[in-house]
Amino acid sequence: MKLGKRWLPAHILVWTYAVLLIVPLYYFLASAFKSNEEIFAHPFALPESLGFGNFRTAYDSADLGTAVVNSALVTVLALALTLLLALPAAFALARSTGRLASAMEKVFSLGFLIPTFAALFPTFLLAAATGLFHTRLFMVFFLPATAMPLSVVILVQFMRTIPREMEEAARMDGASTYTVLRHIYIPMCLPGIATVLLLNFLTFWNEYLYSLIIIGPDPEQRTVQVALPTLKAITGTDYGVLTAGTVLTLIPVWVVYTVLQKRMQQALINGAVKA
Amino acid sequence: MHSPLTRRGFLAAGSGLAAATVLPGLSACSALTGADSDPDTLVVHSQLGTTAPGSPTYLAALDRFRKEHPGLKVKNLINGDDLAQVYETSRLARKEPDVVMVNLYDKTLAWTDVGATVDVKGYLDDWGLRERVLPQALAEWTDAKGRVRAFPYFATNWPIAYNRALLDRAGVDAIPTTGDELIAASRKLRAKGIAPVTVGGNDWTGQKLLAQIIQTFLTEDEARHAYTTGDFGSRGAREGIEYFVTLRDAGVFADKAQGLTSDSMTTQFNTQAAAIESAMSSALAKVPPKVARHTEVGGWPLADGAVHEKPTILRTYTLIGFWISPNGTKKIDAVEKFLRFMYRPDTVARFIKESGRDMALRSDTVSTDFPLVAAAQRLGSTVSQALLPDVYVPPAAAQPLITATSTSFTRGTSAAKVRAALETAYRSA
Repeated sequence: MKLGKRWLPAHILVWTYAVLLIVPLYYFLASAFKSNEEIFAHPFALPESLGFGNFRTAYDSADLGTAVVNSALVTVLALALTLLLALPAAFALARSTGRLASAMEKVFSLGFLIPTFAALFPTFLLAAATGLFHTRLFMVFFLPATAMPLSVVILVQFMRTIPREMEEAARMDGASTYTVLRHIYIPMCLPGIATVLLLNFLTFWNEYLYSLIIIGPDPEQRTVQVALPTLKAITGTDYGVLTAGTVLTLIPVWVVYTVLQKRMQQALINGAVKA
Repeated sequence: MHSPLTRRGFLAAGSGLAAATVLPGLSACSALTGADSDPDTLVVHSQLGTTAPGSPTYLAALDRFRKEHPGLKVKNLINGDDLAQVYETSRLARKEPDVVMVNLYDKTLAWTDVGATVDVKGYLDDWGLRERVLPQALAEWTDAKGRVRAFPYFATNWPIAYNRALLDRAGVDAIPTTGDELIAASRKLRAKGIAPVTVGGNDWTGQKLLAQIIQTFLTEDEARHAYTTGDFGSRGAREGIEYFVTLRDAGVFADKAQGLTSDSMTTQFNTQAAAIESAMSSALAKVPPKVARHTEVGGWPLADGAVHEKPTILRTYTLIGFWISPNGTKKIDAVEKFLRFMYRPDTVARFIKESGRDMALRSDTVSTDFPLVAAAQRLGSTVSQALLPDVYVPPAAAQPLITATSTSFTRGTSAAKVRAALETAYRSA
């Protein structure tokens, strides 16, 4: 197929954008196989060796295996709890038409206004008072609390697009409220649930400040985001090792994104078509 | 369009992912709650344990200690730069570790005063370990009220490292010992495309070098006064700042030094992009052998009228100490065993030999595998010593002072503005 000249600017822009994405990614991956000298002397050259020495050092030094398990444990349980709380809440708000429901929805939206750092000290006090300081369990409870505003707001919008006739038909067949949620709303909201899962997964997995303070530095409990900075030394960081460690911790993110991205794109496209 | 992932598949994938992570997590770690420290577990919180110099030796020492004391469990908590913040919150929750290994700087300066850690003077004497500590180290770890804040352990020499091969390539015959010689050498190095002095003008390395250069015209007492009070108005301090500005504007420091960090500094030197750096001994231990072979250590060049007779270096004994927390006093027998072990001559010797660390303790061991560290130890009376301001700068002024450092390394900033920036750091604290 021959392309006309009028497409040239678009091609240039698209390829420029692609290069802007690929070059840092290449630099990042190539650095994981290099020594400091190679990184700084020849930043964009191919690595001299494709050995996994940096990865092994990073994995062993920062005990990344345990850290990944800890992060996964906290993230998965927090995601499950988020859905467990957000789905019924969104369902109720989406079906209600009263002023109280409207006010409650606004209350959820107000959650966006609380700066993360401002909540640190009260959260720390709460963790200490409940005896859950230095535990992953507290983070499993805390992370869903931070994710509720976004999750509920997104899910409410999805649930409002479901025709009420679907529910009325189910009711006539004797379905309970729980059955309506379980068999009608949740299946039809899967793209929205995927969106919520993906966004919250990225937030939970990458959370650093609260994990550092609340869970603490115990290698048996700390998450990857707390373990990774320990590869940075005050007197000269080995950037090859640090980058290799970062690559290792990004693999789970890549896997989850690959699994969920189609659903999220579908959700966005559906939204666009409806609009 | 048919979705590549069906609802059943989506739920199955989610359940599988959850099971794959949660089950091993629960079985491996037994529970989501933390293992609270019990009387038989000594909890140590350290900056050593991953890639910091001395970490492998430290971990090996811990293993040996565990073998020698099978009835005593040791849990090692690891943090980097954020250790102080993490320790403080742990202490607020009364769940702090028993022993903390960290330097005397910034936040930690206030720990003994506010009861976050205890005075170790009594333990030092009761356990008969005082004689193992170098007197200078003991003095630096003792506060104004006579309390010993921690058991001193690591020290550091902070000489100037000169890459002789690069200096030779630029036609510089001798290591510069005066400001004029340094400026001339810098011009020759720049002509060959080599950065002269690399320094982290944006962080603590720049702050230390700036403090060292300002002290060219300050006696020890005057320097102590300046860094305790933030008064840089004395004649000596003003002349020191002017000397710094002269060197900076003559191009002595690497380009954009105000944006460089300690990492970029060591990398520039280790990759031979720069010829000179002010390096503490743990950084010297990491200079690659091929660079170390033609590197010499010395002092910072002096100006006419300097109060020092010889080029200056920094030296400190406050790098890492063993602090005992209030929780640690409840397990003092275990703490005693641990500290006796860490102070033992063979343990100390391993840090010197295997990791090239300078120690605040007496030892006859010399680090043969780390020639630059050993060379720095041998500098002795061939250099003068400037005062490291760390223990004199009020904790609240430490970070503002580093911010002021970046301003100071920015070309074109006048001596008056540098002085104002330094003094403002104290006023705003």
